[in-house]
Amino acid sequence: MNKKFSFIIIDDSELDCFVTQKFLERSNENGTIKAFQNAKHALEMIRENPIEDNCPTIIFLDLQMPFMNGFDFIEEFEKFAAEIQKNYKIAILTILSPANNPTDVSKILTYKAVNSIIEKPLTKEKLLSFLIQV
Amino acid sequence: MTEKIKILYLDDESDNLMGFKASLRLDYQVLTAVNVPDALNCLETHPEIRVVFCDQRMPGKTGVDFFEEIRISYPLPIRVMLTAYTDVESIIAAINKGKIFRFVKKPWIEADIIGAIEEANKFYIANSMLAIKNDELQKAYDELNKFAYSVSHDIRGPLSGILGAINLANEIDDVEEMKKMLFLMKKSVTKMDAYVLSMHDYYSLQRGELKITEIDFNKVIDELKAIYTVLSKVNDVAFNISITQDGIFRSDYAPLRLVFNNLLSNAFKYQDRDSKNKSVEMIVEVEKSMATIYVKDTGIGILGSHVGEIFNLFYRSNSLEVGSGFGLYNVKSALIKLNGQIEVQSVLHQGTTFKVTIPSI
Repeated sequence: MNKKFSFIIIDDSELDCFVTQKFLERSNENGTIKAFQNAKHALEMIRENPIEDNCPTIIFLDLQMPFMNGFDFIEEFEKFAAEIQKNYKIAILTILSPANNPTDVSKILTYKAVNSIIEKPLTKEKLLSFLIQV
Repeated sequence: MTEKIKILYLDDESDNLMGFKASLRLDYQVLTAVNVPDALNCLETHPEIRVVFCDQRMPGKTGVDFFEEIRISYPLPIRVMLTAYTDVESIIAAINKGKIFRFVKKPWIEADIIGAIEEANKFYIANSMLAIKNDELQKAYDELNKFAYSVSHDIRGPLSGILGAINLANEIDDVEEMKKMLFLMKKSVTKMDAYVLSMHDYYSLQRGELKITEIDFNKVIDELKAIYTVLSKVNDVAFNISITQDGIFRSDYAPLRLVFNNLLSNAFKYQDRDSKNKSVEMIVEVEKSMATIYVKDTGIGILGSHVGEIFNLFYRSNSLEVGSGFGLYNVKSALIKLNGQIEVQSVLHQGTTFKVTIPSI
């Protein structure tokens, strides 16, 4: 795999940020990885540097977070100009599953910025199959 | 003795009103009105009226019209029609439109009126109890909803993080990296443990009677002091306590300790890591059967717009991972149990002061 991506991880859990980051480092992707425990800070970073390293950026986004949750983040993200938005793909990384939380999950899929949903806990296989299809 | 039941009687003939009042005023508080505007005014100024009697045939509005109107605007009082006008049409209208509780025929006998009042009063009380129960049920239901969210976030969240970490462990060879991960896993487990403990606090506060004992604040604080002195040293936070207790103070030990423990825990938890002069100060003053407790910190403070919400269940004003959203809610529940009050003053980036007052029971 030589597609080059940058990555942003947004998760209020420090452990989840760590796990996602380490899996990414081991996935042969060589783009930069930035982790945020507060979605607001990620939003500010995107606002200030909308196009990172001239390559598309994948955002791994947790949904249930204090302060600004995943839904709030997407709402804010969709206010960015279209040329900024098209540089990003959002992958939801959540403990919600289509089977147990159908309303929340179908709500996520109505946002066009959202590319896919990955159910936690993360595994190497889940990450690789996501990176292949993206 | 309980207060007399308030009743209202609307009739355009003042002789009827006087007779009614004269025979009932010993047992009930009787208000009278000779026209509809007077009656409406009466209902407005006396919201505790439980039974409304009304004549059917009056100039202008009929009794049915009046009942139909107040059924919407003053739904609580129970409606009783008192009239000599007994054609079937008006009885049907009184029942269907006025939704009356009883129909008493004029000329009335006292036993009928008293019977109607007593039955109406029972009905009124049953309705009110139902409304209160409904409110309680709604509240419990709302909490259950929040609880469901919280269980998924605060229990399943850390669990799936730990599972993810176990999956990752297969890929890690570097010992330092592994140690870092174990450290983060431990934090998740500790957080979950704290969550389960405060959930236990939550339930024991919701139930159970008060266990009143004499409280020596020096003893209460001594136990907590041991825990927090360690924390104070590790995190380089100055910790000062001052206690003055003048006389006997009676209260329930467990909720009291919970209040102290949560406020102190927050004061240490929400310190500004980069600040040089970190301190926590606790002042306890017990005077004339009233305890006043101040817990002051030099921490990160609370955003003005969040202050109103910090006592809500599962509210977290901070994105730091440590909060469970139980702590201050439990403090508030404990204080309600102890008949106490809490106030908060906070300046962002400078610190927060909680002031608690608790009366001796």
